[in-house]
Amino acid sequence: MEVVVWSAWIAGIAMGLFVIFHFWLMGKPAGCSTGYGNFCGMMFKRVEYFRTGEYKNINNSRLWFLLGIPIGGLISALGSPEPWHFSFDMGMYNDILPQTLAGKAIWLIFGGALLGFGARLAGACTTGHALVGGAMMNPPSLLAGAIFFMSAFLTTHLLFGT
Amino acid sequence: MHKLPIIKSIRLYLVSFSFVYRNNFFGLLMGIAFGFFMSHAGATTYDYHAKMFLFQDFQLLIVIAMAVVIAMIGVTLMKKFHVTAIATGAEVDFVKKPYQKGLIAGAMLFGIGWGMTASCPGTIPAMIGEGKIAGIFALVGLLIGTMAYGILQSYIRLEKAQKNTSES
Repeated sequence: MEVVVWSAWIAGIAMGLFVIFHFWLMGKPAGCSTGYGNFCGMMFKRVEYFRTGEYKNINNSRLWFLLGIPIGGLISALGSPEPWHFSFDMGMYNDILPQTLAGKAIWLIFGGALLGFGARLAGACTTGHALVGGAMMNPPSLLAGAIFFMSAFLTTHLLFGT
Repeated sequence: MHKLPIIKSIRLYLVSFSFVYRNNFFGLLMGIAFGFFMSHAGATTYDYHAKMFLFQDFQLLIVIAMAVVIAMIGVTLMKKFHVTAIATGAEVDFVKKPYQKGLIAGAMLFGIGWGMTASCPGTIPAMIGEGKIAGIFALVGLLIGTMAYGILQSYIRLEKAQKNTSES
């Protein structure tokens, strides 16, 4: 599914204004990966970690933020010239990932698990650390953002064999 | 049952409902905007992630650099003028993520996941909205990973609590 991609400069300005507006509207930094904790707490009531501390009130705006993202993606995809449809096309990754469907699924689930575990261990994801943390010039966030990029850079180069 | 007229009771119900769920509604709206911009920025297209790390196309790098610069200016101005938040009415809280144990290890694991799936937790739901099946599998993995961390933390707490009770 191809979407209309804006010029990087315009999209960057839009994202920057979004971060500012999020601060102004909600009064706290934008974040994605914490919402997945709320989701886990909703599904599995017996995991104590997702019911106490910062997850005390799990039906909060972070969870709803997460629920809004697919709608935004859907609106964006509906604006593209081709009609909306499911696709398993991964572009350049088609050639380097396992060729069978099950292989791809296992690969993606494993990668996703690394994303989820790593994001919780690091405290935030790309949005929380690189985008919002970078805007606030928070030293741990800058460190984490730099390591995100370095590690992903190395992984991608290993995968594509360059 | 109360004896208010039906119009008034509906109005009061809506008012109380909006007070309780206003923040969630704002969160939903912000999520929609986030997914929309992420999608149009190209963050949900796999090729841009691969090309960024292979130094062939700097689309996403420009997006994030621009966004950080713009947001930095905005944050500085908001701090200077002590802007109050719309949803809470209190001054905007620029709470910074503290350094936590395992940040470096976690960031490395996250980076490997990023390279493997060419997506990050913020873009995976947007990918599903666009009809990318790969996003569904990545979401399953993401929930498993988050779950694993929660279970681990719960066990660590349990162990600490047991140690405390055995010492005292």
